[in-house]
Amino acid sequence: MIRGRSPVVRSAIRAASPLALLVAAFLFFAGHNQPGGGFAAGLVIGAVVALRTVAGIGRPQDATRWFAVGTALVSAVALAPLLGGEPLLDQVIVSETLPLLGKVKSGSALVFDAGVTAIVVGLFVAVFDGLDADELGRDEVHV
Amino acid sequence: MIWILLVAHLVGVVAVLSLPNPRPAFAVALAAPLASAVWAASRLGGGEIDTARLDWVEGLDLAFSFRVGPLGALLAVLVSGIGVLIFVYGHGYFGGGDRRGFAATLLAFSGSMLGLVWADDVWTLFLFWEATSVTSFLLVGTKSTDSTAVTAARRALLVTVAGGLVLLAGLLVLVDVAGTATLSEMGPVTGDQATVAAVLVLVGAFTKSAQLPFHVWLPGAMAAPTPVSAYLHSATMVKAGIVLIGVMHPVLGAVDIWSGLGVTVGLLTMFWGAIGALRHADAKLVLAWGTVSQLGLMTAMMSLGSGKAIFAAVSLVVAHAVFKAALFMAVGEIDIRTGSRDLRSLSGLRTSMPVAFWVMVFAGLSMAGVPPLLGFPAKEAAIEASLNESGASGDLILAGVTIGSVLTVAYTTRLVLALFSDKGGEPTEVTPFRWAAAAPSVLLSALGVVGYVLAPSVTDWVVPAAATLETTSAGYALLRWPGLNSTAFLISMGIVAGGAIIGAAAARHSSPPEPLGANNVDRLVDRTLDLAKWTTGRVQHGSLPIYLVVMALVASLAVIPFLGSIDANQLYAWDRPLQAGMGTTVVAAAIAVAVIRSRIGAALALGVVGLGVSALFLIQGAPDLALTQLLVETVIVVGFVIGLGGLTTQFPTNGFVWRSVRIGTAVLAGAAVTAALLASAEDTPSNREALTAAAVDEGGGNNLVNVILTDLRALDTLGEVVVLVVAAMGVLALSRADTARGGGAPLSDDVRKVRR
Amino acid sequence: MSITLALVVGGLTSVGVYLITSRSLTRMLLGFALLGHAAVLALLAAGGEAGERPISGDAPVAELSDPLPQAFALTAIVISFGLTLFLLALARRQAQLTGDDLVEDDLEDRRIAIETEAEGDDA
Repeated sequence: MIRGRSPVVRSAIRAASPLALLVAAFLFFAGHNQPGGGFAAGLVIGAVVALRTVAGIGRPQDATRWFAVGTALVSAVALAPLLGGEPLLDQVIVSETLPLLGKVKSGSALVFDAGVTAIVVGLFVAVFDGLDADELGRDEVHV
Repeated sequence: MIWILLVAHLVGVVAVLSLPNPRPAFAVALAAPLASAVWAASRLGGGEIDTARLDWVEGLDLAFSFRVGPLGALLAVLVSGIGVLIFVYGHGYFGGGDRRGFAATLLAFSGSMLGLVWADDVWTLFLFWEATSVTSFLLVGTKSTDSTAVTAARRALLVTVAGGLVLLAGLLVLVDVAGTATLSEMGPVTGDQATVAAVLVLVGAFTKSAQLPFHVWLPGAMAAPTPVSAYLHSATMVKAGIVLIGVMHPVLGAVDIWSGLGVTVGLLTMFWGAIGALRHADAKLVLAWGTVSQLGLMTAMMSLGSGKAIFAAVSLVVAHAVFKAALFMAVGEIDIRTGSRDLRSLSGLRTSMPVAFWVMVFAGLSMAGVPPLLGFPAKEAAIEASLNESGASGDLILAGVTIGSVLTVAYTTRLVLALFSDKGGEPTEVTPFRWAAAAPSVLLSALGVVGYVLAPSVTDWVVPAAATLETTSAGYALLRWPGLNSTAFLISMGIVAGGAIIGAAAARHSSPPEPLGANNVDRLVDRTLDLAKWTTGRVQHGSLPIYLVVMALVASLAVIPFLGSIDANQLYAWDRPLQAGMGTTVVAAAIAVAVIRSRIGAALALGVVGLGVSALFLIQGAPDLALTQLLVETVIVVGFVIGLGGLTTQFPTNGFVWRSVRIGTAVLAGAAVTAALLASAEDTPSNREALTAAAVDEGGGNNLVNVILTDLRALDTLGEVVVLVVAAMGVLALSRADTARGGGAPLSDDVRKVRR
Repeated sequence: MSITLALVVGGLTSVGVYLITSRSLTRMLLGFALLGHAAVLALLAAGGEAGERPISGDAPVAELSDPLPQAFALTAIVISFGLTLFLLALARRQAQLTGDDLVEDDLEDRRIAIETEAEGDDA
């Protein structure tokens, strides 16, 4: 079975993880104007989770927490406009000039996307919890 | 006021169900009927009309609409007034125990019946009509552990609900031809469509009012507790059909077939019901068959449609409700105090149960149509109405009513004589007197006398009610003493004399009763269930692959109608030449997925398909899709290898036939999808200019796809997120089941058993 | 519409249908994934001709590919992704319980079918 436990692989995955997270962050923020977006970012983070599972190094464990955060963000963006008498999911666009980044134009869609990302990551955490390579190695299927 | 009273019934149902202590269930339940009865009684004889309307779906002209005129008031007094007495009687009949559910159901029925007689909209009427069927089913099946009761309840439900469907069809046709669903706005209709409506409505009424050949459910429904029989199956629900015929008289009365069909069926039912009543030895069944017979007379009168006949029908409804409820209550009292209703064995009741005896004598005389009781002037009116009819059909009607009435007197005489005669030997043992079980029947039988004495007042209540159905009813009256020179009176006396003799003779003999058709319904029901089971067994054999093959085949056939719309002008070979090459790769890889028999190999082939599809996205100009597809594909292949790669069992192999079926289905499905896609080609792209402008202005982004997802159509994305969360929950639950069940051996045992 | 795309969709559908009518959950899963691809490509094909990537400002609006079907397709990808993972977990669970990944006949349906067959023999 998959036992990518060689030290080289482990170190490589360890080193690659922050890079991959950086890529995810790029995709996330680029999504509004370039290809990318919350779902793609979530997939990349999810891939990190998958790799770390295979390598047997630490990874997020609690899928429900990711779902909770994601669902909360998505519902907040969806429902908040109702309080102000606006239709469901109405977006707010903020255009600010910040000291370091210059003019930033974005909106509550970003928060919505963050929720999507969190849920996708949660899905990965859940799946790899269930498909834990470690566990499969242990109770090898008996015919 | 109409709303208050109807809602009060609903509130009452909830209140009864939530009572902490079952003792006052019946007392709480009777509040709403009492209020309705008082309000309705205060309007008797007056001419005022109340209406209430609540629009439901305005576009479809659906509304809850009620209209309470003289007829509504009169019927409400019967429904709610007798309802109050029934609740008192129920308290005595059950003598303790938890009857909250029963009382609540009975109250729900009472409210439904009220809604039915007050409805001014055919759909409102239909809704309450069905509500009475359902509550009746629940009440007949009260003893849910008794298989007779359950069978009877099922039979009653099937017959009345089947009739309800016929009625619904009739009402649809009627509304179409009349142009409105509001009863008070409908004018007379004739023509072919009206004839269809008339027949359907009549059949609906026949089922509810137990007319031949649908009468079979009513005797069986006697498995219900006696309060139910007294209330639903004599005084109120079974009258719904007759009320319906009356309400439809101004609209459909002019249709040729209306009175002919109604009178024929009514008179046949009157005769057949009376025969049934003469045969049975169970006192309650005698009353049930007697009710069938009486309902026949009312149906005949109501559909006959002359002023006098309608007047007679309404009078009979009133008189019958009063005496038949009393008779049922008395028989129920005998039942609970002796444990028997058998005419052949009960003995000595005349001295041991004097109250029940006198109740039955008075109510029985009213049923037989003997003065000085309310049943007499009502029956007189029916005979006079028959005398008024001319020609051969008039003679037939008169003969039918006369014969039916003779038999009515006969079975009444037989019932009272046989029930209270001394059979020799020990008198039947009797438990102590319960006032709550006796008082309502005493009151009702006394009302028979009072009604006779106050016949002019009763006339004042009945005439305006009948006149709302047929204006020529206005001139008639209930006569206490028509005089010896009245033909009707002479016929009446002859009926009583003849009936009494036959009845006295019949009291000495009881032939063993035959089922008389009820088992035909049961057989029909059983056959239907067998057929359903057989079909299920054949069609639903449990094999998922076969289900899927059938679905794919049927779905493929659905494409056929669209084949004609394939337009060659909209088609071209490829967007870019590269598309053809990549497409070939994708299909080849897909075939490899199916052919490779190693799991890892198949997964890798699937990965190639995914990569190819990503490339096709890029070619199409969809980088977002390509990026996402690439990531998704990677994850799925990795997950597949980790999750299932360890599985070493072979894929199952199929026989040649099944394999050919699968391949054939697959090819057909693929062809169908290709054809459907080609047929859908149309050169109407979405409005890109508007989308682009909206995305940049409202969404604040340049990536159109992403702005559509997170802003313009964010609701779709919200739904997508929900799907993801649900799928993830499922994954979590499945993976955690391992640890929770410790290996899950029990399930695998179960599955293995079936595999053999 | 590109005939090539329509044919690719049809081919993917064929193989997908063939695989989902298998008794092996693993193969059903593969078939399901292929059907997902077919559906997404069908959405895209229905969107009309290929064009430039739909990013405002990259090219004149008329030359952009239609973004609306792409948004639908993206949603479809995500949903079929979620369901594929669910099927994966299901197949794995089945493998843990029974040692293989075969879909069994429905117990209750089989019972009724066997009963009616027996009755048919009596008659």
